[in-house]
Amino acid sequence: MVEQTLHSLSQFLPETTLTITFCISILAGLILRNKPKVIPVISFAGILLATVFAVRQMGSSQAVFSGMIVVDPFAVFFKLLVGSTAVIIFLFSIYSQEVQSTLKRLVEYSSLLVAMTLGMFLMAGAVNLLMMVLAIELTSLSSYILAGYTKEAPDSSEASLKYIIYGALSTGLMLYGISILFGLTGATDVYAINRSLAATSVNSVALLIAVLLIIAGFGYKISAVPFHFWTPDVYEGAPITITAFLSVASKAAGFAMLIRFFKISFIDFNLLAAHAGGVWGLLQGFEWNKILAILSVLTMTLGNLVAVWQNNLKRLLAYSSIAHAGYMLMGVVVLNDKGLAAVLVYFMVYLFMNLGAFYVVMLVANKVGSEDIDSYKGLGYRSPFISVAMVVFFISLAGLPPTAGFIGKLFLFAALLDARWVWLAVVGALNSVVSLYYYVRVVRNMFLRDPEGSTEPIRFSFPQMAILLLLLVPTLLFGLFYSPIVELANASVLMFGVR
Amino acid sequence: MVEIQSYLILSAITFIIGVVGVLARRNAIIVFMSIELMLNSVNLTLVAFSAYLGDTTGQMLVFFVMTVAAAEAAVGLAIVIALFRNKQTVNIDDINILKW
Amino acid sequence: MLTEFGNVLVFLIIGAIFVAGGMIASWILRPHRPYPEKLASYECGEEPVGDAWVKFNIRFYVVALIFLIFDVEVVFLFPWALVYRQLGLFAFLEMAVFLVILLIGFAYVWVKGDLDWDKPKPEIPKIERRPSAMRASVKPQVESVTV
Repeated sequence: MVEQTLHSLSQFLPETTLTITFCISILAGLILRNKPKVIPVISFAGILLATVFAVRQMGSSQAVFSGMIVVDPFAVFFKLLVGSTAVIIFLFSIYSQEVQSTLKRLVEYSSLLVAMTLGMFLMAGAVNLLMMVLAIELTSLSSYILAGYTKEAPDSSEASLKYIIYGALSTGLMLYGISILFGLTGATDVYAINRSLAATSVNSVALLIAVLLIIAGFGYKISAVPFHFWTPDVYEGAPITITAFLSVASKAAGFAMLIRFFKISFIDFNLLAAHAGGVWGLLQGFEWNKILAILSVLTMTLGNLVAVWQNNLKRLLAYSSIAHAGYMLMGVVVLNDKGLAAVLVYFMVYLFMNLGAFYVVMLVANKVGSEDIDSYKGLGYRSPFISVAMVVFFISLAGLPPTAGFIGKLFLFAALLDARWVWLAVVGALNSVVSLYYYVRVVRNMFLRDPEGSTEPIRFSFPQMAILLLLLVPTLLFGLFYSPIVELANASVLMFGVR
Repeated sequence: MVEIQSYLILSAITFIIGVVGVLARRNAIIVFMSIELMLNSVNLTLVAFSAYLGDTTGQMLVFFVMTVAAAEAAVGLAIVIALFRNKQTVNIDDINILKW
Repeated sequence: MLTEFGNVLVFLIIGAIFVAGGMIASWILRPHRPYPEKLASYECGEEPVGDAWVKFNIRFYVVALIFLIFDVEVVFLFPWALVYRQLGLFAFLEMAVFLVILLIGFAYVWVKGDLDWDKPKPEIPKIERRPSAMRASVKPQVESVTV
């Protein structure tokens, strides 16, 4: 027991680092009350260190803490994704007016960001339903508070309240599903659930209800329709840095858990052995991928259609991120390694393009003081570089070449067509066309409309531009040289205990 | 000896009352109380199954659900207080700056 | 003849009739003589002061929140206490880590001043509805009744 735990701890370095960073951040905040600016530096260093430790876990594949958590390429991939997002968010925060104007609460801001990152690291590796719930809760509780961080602004508190009500509701639903699943299989470990489902047949109605309830929990985290209601409100009301973090990292961690739960719980190992190329069958005759396909169609269609009507750019990006969750669900539906690899590729691309778009929104909001699409009129003449960058991010989000977004969509659709999911691919393609419309609307405002009010050029400092380049260059580069990210994705679909 | 079905039916009923409470009630505090009710019905299911299967995993889960519920209630109430200082109301219908 | 639930149903019906019958009988038999104290809510013989729905000081909520968190965390000490003998020092260290993290939270609450109870000017809850106002709303004939 003792040796086991000590060994587990040695494989748990990223998470341990984050926990210690969290504690130190809070204590340092209490001691150095007159120097709040030191704390984000500590938190930043901690997250950087944790990400480095996560890099060192690459290639390892084992279960730790008596099967509560696994360290495998799949988990490490998502840890890296979350870690790098957190690092970029800290860079954003340096220039965020919303964050810098409330210096007094900087301690809470940075330590809660660390807690949220810790929750997502745990989500990436959790293989026990209990651990999954706790990881979701750690992430959610931190994000509820961060969404209401600028508590003087009424829309921020409102976003926070809506977030926690929807969040608590879906946690409740998910826990009820877990309790039923526990009753049916007598296990909370996904591997044990798999063995139990393979050995005995269970009441199919109860199983269906249990899994649908659990999907509610995951669906809320990845903001899939019909569990998306919180998304636009929270994205609009929360500080932009938090919105950007939620839209990428929170979604990624949710996807990691969703994929792991479905793949390991319902995989039929006999069928997996029979088919080459990582195609897997499902236990108990339920075709869960059909449910996910319906969810995917609903999510992307509603996300794209509602986005067309939005006038607030943050809200527009919220609906666009809902739509992107729908695209990524398409990759889960096909039930093979190719589909999963496509999802991972998409996430790497999505990280850069989505964070980039939010960063531009933040920079413009700092100067103009508004996130309305109308305030972007004539921005192309006032600040050409920023506007061109925004156009690149939007082209990428819409999935047009020569940007990275195109590569992401290409691999998704290729995986779908390979597995004969033609209708879903068609729906996805149609949705991309719709999405083009609302992205172009913003671009048109920037370049084809005369500025209203002030026409003075807007200038940004050199470090601000450097951060923008950090996001812009990969968005363009991965559109042309995509083999490294594809190789990384292919290496990262391996999960502990499967194959 | 009470059979397991009775426990499950009772917990299903309380769970549904909780869900309806969350969706239908307009007072934020009562919404949080309904969420507690949902989580407690989860606990009842877990304990019932745990006793039925002779497996203590379910009881262990209950401990964690209790903590999660407490943490959620604490954060929720803190947010309600922050919002109340802003808007002087806990009625969800009055909290409506953000929509569509 | 009757199933078990049938028996319960019969009991329910008889019970309902018994309650309703008693209430109807007393309504018919009792003298109808209202006076204001009958309308006031019962406060152990004291005259009630205002409404129960007054706004409480927000500090009560903060203290309740803090109590709630630290109270529930204790639940983890019970299973730990059960296995403590088997695991010995190792279990002690594990729980020490847990408690240290809790203590950090406690220190945070303390330093932030959420445990202080300094009230510069005590705020007396605003009373909107006085019993005397209720008294006025009762019919005038009541006033002639000697209490």
